[in-house]
Amino acid sequence: MKLGLAAAFLGATLLAGAASAADKRWDGADDLPVNPLACSAGEASAAPAAKPYDGGKPTNAADKAGKPITLVDVPKLIGIGYFNATSKGMQDAAKALGNVTVKTDGPTEAKIDEQIKFIDNYITSGVDGILFAANDPVAIAPVLKKALSKGIHVVGYDANSTPDAREWFVNQAEFNGIAKSMVDSMAKEAGEDKGFAIVTSTFTTPNQARWIAEMWAYAQKCHPKLKWLETVEAQEDNNLSFNQATTLINKHGDKLAGLFGMTSVATPASAEAVTKAKLCGKVAVVGLATPNAMKPYVNADCVKSVVLWNPVDLGYAATYVMRAVVDGSLKPGATSVDAGKLGKLNVVNGSEILLGSPFIFTKQNIKDFDF
Amino acid sequence: MTLAGAGADPRRRLKVLASQEALLAIAVIGLAIAVGLYNPRFLAARNLSDVLLGNAYIAVAAVGMSMVIVSGNIDISVGALIGVLATISGTLAVNGAPILVAWLAALVAGVAVMALQGVIIAYLRIPAIVVTLGMLSILKGGLISVTGGKWITDLPDSFHLADIELFGMLPFPVVLMILVTILAALWMRYSASGRAIYAVGGNAEAARLCGISQPRTIVMVFALHGLFAGAAALLYATQLRVIQSTVPPNLELTIITASVVGGVSILGGVGTVVGSTLAAVLIAEIASALVFIDVSPYWIRAVQGALILVTVIADILRRRRMAGA
Repeated sequence: MKLGLAAAFLGATLLAGAASAADKRWDGADDLPVNPLACSAGEASAAPAAKPYDGGKPTNAADKAGKPITLVDVPKLIGIGYFNATSKGMQDAAKALGNVTVKTDGPTEAKIDEQIKFIDNYITSGVDGILFAANDPVAIAPVLKKALSKGIHVVGYDANSTPDAREWFVNQAEFNGIAKSMVDSMAKEAGEDKGFAIVTSTFTTPNQARWIAEMWAYAQKCHPKLKWLETVEAQEDNNLSFNQATTLINKHGDKLAGLFGMTSVATPASAEAVTKAKLCGKVAVVGLATPNAMKPYVNADCVKSVVLWNPVDLGYAATYVMRAVVDGSLKPGATSVDAGKLGKLNVVNGSEILLGSPFIFTKQNIKDFDF
Repeated sequence: MTLAGAGADPRRRLKVLASQEALLAIAVIGLAIAVGLYNPRFLAARNLSDVLLGNAYIAVAAVGMSMVIVSGNIDISVGALIGVLATISGTLAVNGAPILVAWLAALVAGVAVMALQGVIIAYLRIPAIVVTLGMLSILKGGLISVTGGKWITDLPDSFHLADIELFGMLPFPVVLMILVTILAALWMRYSASGRAIYAVGGNAEAARLCGISQPRTIVMVFALHGLFAGAAALLYATQLRVIQSTVPPNLELTIITASVVGGVSILGGVGTVVGSTLAAVLIAEIASALVFIDVSPYWIRAVQGALILVTVIADILRRRRMAGA
């Protein structure tokens, strides 16, 4: 019995991933094509060529135009500040619309198999629409297609699936837009020719890998003297992120003038590491994070800019998009959709709704947010 | 070093065990020197203290885990419990409870949950793996249901136990780790109740004949384990300015790894907390060293696994030799 236990325990621990081969890009970047924005500030990206609608379509969906609908929201995981904020936006939208009920439910860890189970259960119990943020764009597709085939509307936000597995996807910010904000802030705060390192979740997390690839491309183009030192992984683990950031500070010493945090967990942990090392003002921390976790560091002037879109707005927009789909006011071929207090949002890439450019939290505005 | 299970030659056991701790100490120092040769910055006092500071909570929790494993049991609920205790303590602190109350709550709740598990294991005779697996799910699920996964922010400054530096230079977590290890080691070696843990884990029948109550010993061990888990949770919760109300991923595995690599036999009856603390330090040091020598951090899991394999195989072979001797 005990031996078997020991064996099981060993199996659980021997989980080493294979390191991806490093190419010329920074570690942690994917190798998909990149599309860096123009260097000068305020210049919009080149308008993408209009693509035909490439989303899916539900089979024999009940006509609920103008009628009350019940939605379920299945994010990557519940229990992180970010998805608590998207969930809050959905509740706000439901209140504003008055004829939408939405409930958030999902796995406690960002595991695709768990997420599929949740969606499957809601297909069985019956809902009018599913909002999702995918843990894996390909693996989630079959269960979403099953939902469509049962006449359930499907809209994604935050992390996409393959287009044909959902109707619309609300894109919080183009990857190259985030990349530009991040790298511009770093160059401004750390210096044009300084060294920086990156703390990310894992090298294979899709969103993070895209951002890093776009950051690399934009830095090559617009801040070529910035020196990338290395990328470390810290899963989505608070204490590991802190330890990894601390190790980077100790390893590189004066060569390190900046840290990028790629997740809402890594960024506050990196800021804490810089604070504990008494290097506020010497090592810039720029990253994606939710405001509450960053307030202590922003208010202490240790962190100047926190880059994000407003996740509350993202959840809000996703709910409005779903309502518009059900009401028939958002059809394939549309160029924009009305999203309540957010105004008109544009359709891009065939079947995506763009939320807008990234939002930068600073000491002036961070107190207005509570998530 | 310790009172061994019945039937073994204590002197030989002593040599072997002493070598396990000595081996770990040599590994800790040897690795530091080797990495220091590659990158001298690794040996900077600041880095060495950061390695200890960031991982002291693992060593503290591993002290209790070692007692549990020595007693012939296992606990896989500890990671989830640490997440729950951190959340309880942080919630109290944010809602204006006196800081001491917030700290004590983690210790008291830790003892209560673990003692309850001890009672179920000892008096209902249900294997520890089953009970603690159930508790793991209850704690994990309960934590998410109750908190809705909301992070705890705006923690008062005075709550941050891990920030305290004694005499302006000794970080409290490191001091606590050393203190807890020494006290627990002495208690396990020299007190009757401490030695009862080895007796119960080594040979329950012989222990019973000597008049040691197995159930009571197991409940005591789990209660103590809960106390250490509470202390670990406080260090874990106060290290950063935010408490994620979730269960830290794989924490129980890291804690069990520290015990097993520290020479605590997964079969019970053998091991010391000095070993588990040294192993916790070694594992933390390896993680930091991997960054310093530019090796992918993916390897930390593999290295941890290899360490366990080597120690467990060595332990099994040693037992075979002893049984054959």
